Amino acid sequence: MIVAEIHKIIASVKDALGAGPRSASHAPAPSIAVPVSPSARRAELASTFARELEAVGGNFLGILTPAEVTNRIVTLAGELGAMTVALGRGLMSDMDAIGEALERADCRIVRTIPVADTERAAMREQVANADLGIVEADFAIASTGTLAVVSTRDRPSSLTLLPPASLAIVQIDRVMANLAAVLAELGPGGVAANRLTLVTGPSRTADIEKRIVLGVHGPKSIHAIVVWPGDD
Amino acid sequence: MAESPKARNFFESSRAAVGDHELRRKLESASARHLDHFDQVRAEFPPYDDQRDAAHRIKTDAIAHLDELLIGLAAKLEARGCKVFFAEDAADARGYIVELAKARGAKNVVKGKSMTTEEIELNQAFERAGIDAVETDLGEYIVQLRGERPSHILTPAIHLSKEDIGRLFADKFGIAYTAEPEKLTAEARSRLRRIFLNAEFGVTGVNFAIAETGTLVIVENEGNGRMSSTMPQTFVAVMGIEKVIPRLEDLSPFLEILARTATGQKLTTYTSFITGPRREGELDGPGEMHVVILDNGRSAMIADPVLRGALNCIRCGACLNVCPIYRRIGGHAYRSVYPGPIGSIVSPNLFGSAAGYLPFASTLCGACKDICPVKIDIPRILLHLRWKETAGEHALRWPRAIERARRGARRFARLARYPRTVRALGKFAAMVLKPFARNGYLRRMPGPFGNWTKYRDFPRPRPHRRPAPGPKRGPR
Repeated sequence: MIVAEIHKIIASVKDALGAGPRSASHAPAPSIAVPVSPSARRAELASTFARELEAVGGNFLGILTPAEVTNRIVTLAGELGAMTVALGRGLMSDMDAIGEALERADCRIVRTIPVADTERAAMREQVANADLGIVEADFAIASTGTLAVVSTRDRPSSLTLLPPASLAIVQIDRVMANLAAVLAELGPGGVAANRLTLVTGPSRTADIEKRIVLGVHGPKSIHAIVVWPGDD
Repeated sequence: MAESPKARNFFESSRAAVGDHELRRKLESASARHLDHFDQVRAEFPPYDDQRDAAHRIKTDAIAHLDELLIGLAAKLEARGCKVFFAEDAADARGYIVELAKARGAKNVVKGKSMTTEEIELNQAFERAGIDAVETDLGEYIVQLRGERPSHILTPAIHLSKEDIGRLFADKFGIAYTAEPEKLTAEARSRLRRIFLNAEFGVTGVNFAIAETGTLVIVENEGNGRMSSTMPQTFVAVMGIEKVIPRLEDLSPFLEILARTATGQKLTTYTSFITGPRREGELDGPGEMHVVILDNGRSAMIADPVLRGALNCIRCGACLNVCPIYRRIGGHAYRSVYPGPIGSIVSPNLFGSAAGYLPFASTLCGACKDICPVKIDIPRILLHLRWKETAGEHALRWPRAIERARRGARRFARLARYPRTVRALGKFAAMVLKPFARNGYLRRMPGPFGNWTKYRDFPRPRPHRRPAPGPKRGPR
């Protein structure tokens, strides 16, 4: 047997395989219940979330402590060249501190506050003109790379819809395994209380020859940070 | 173009479409892309089949209790400040919506992607009322600019190439020609963004309505549904009666499989849960919200135990992509809002006998049944509809050639009751035809039989008791 011939065969096999995707079909994950420490479980969920978010075209900025979050956001605003940033109120995170840090970095801040009917159009225009919208998400879904955001008076749905770039921060203990877990956590009452939006990656279309294009009506880029309080 | 302007019926339009090689190329490439995605997704998601079973069970159960669920849903919606309108037919629904728009003095209407509003021909009604209604899903926007209707329930502009769309945008907007999807999308984004921020009135469809909470769920990828339901002061959601599911916990199997089957995604980009209009002080959401719940022939489908299964449909569009008929003729040839296998079931029931031929536009190959995420037995229902048509419930008028073939078949059926006569005739034919055969096959036959030999050879009839020696025979 001549080595060159084997190489030829391998080459033609490689050639033949070259056209299609190479990833093997995933074997189902073994569902053996092994006792895992809560923080290991959290780390696993966060890394699954990160992988899935990237798979849908999102940008995962890391698992950070609250102190690191502010710096990372200022850096991101710089990377995006964002002059104006729209900011909603936080759940656990101190959004005021983030806003102040951004202002020190010469960003103009639009804070979404409850509006009267006469102020609505102007506020919307401001959010729409922002380069980046920042919101703290209520939950993240690991299996799909999804952010779940409940829209309220000071955290409107516009923040994840109108600006061309969107950033969500989410607490580590709010990263859930799957959609069913989030819906169960919110419960019928939670879902019905306010508008809930699940965001899975940047706005996209495949309407022209089934080619995927990002940023149709919503953000073209989407970024996420998972916050892990240091003391845990 | 798929639809020849002169085509009067399905036979003419499908014949024209089959001859359109460019259309065929676009359909094949789009379908192949969809199926590639789908296979991958299915392999990566082992619970797929369990979720299908769950979805099938929940929907079947929901349809069986539809009356109670609708009452519960309407009560919840009203408790949350929505106006609910039950529309018996398309005219009812569009009348309500257009009158509402007039009463609110709306000049600019934005529409999210919705097949149900296509079904009730809402755009045409807005146009007659002098109201400017803009489709905001990119594909719908494109077909609206062309003055066409969608040719696929999920990818409305599947029949157009990027060059077609580039020329369209250059013509309509006076911009430089480009066929790059990114640039075309950016152009549409900036135009539609302005329209969204100024629209007073928004209309979308609904994917699921949760009876337990009165929540409407809308899934989409672009954001047109979010825009249409948050920006305008008045928002109208239009849903068929079959969209309701009992509980919140029933939702996740549907969301898990809908995106996977429809587009090969794990979840659509946006899933909106809307329960009522905005509250005091909120920036987003409509000030006023209406829900139009449409029957338009659906309750009559429930009455037929076989047809009822078709109401499980969640409009994922997968059956279109696998259908050998759809892949050859495209959506326009069906001449119905709902094309493809599921359209062939739904259309005759929603739009009456004009679509009565569609159940026959199927090879019954079963690919649609295999891919259906809610396990609708489409071939069985198509057969059932064929039976209903031929049993004289609708009495279609068939083209002459088909009528002749059916008369011939009927005559043969009568003749076949006398086996001895059949055998005698066979012997006679074998004798007469023998001199014309070559290698056991006839290449040409006279009269109406000529249609067969135009495309293939006909085996020479042989007397019943003398089977021919196999190996020597064969086509030329």
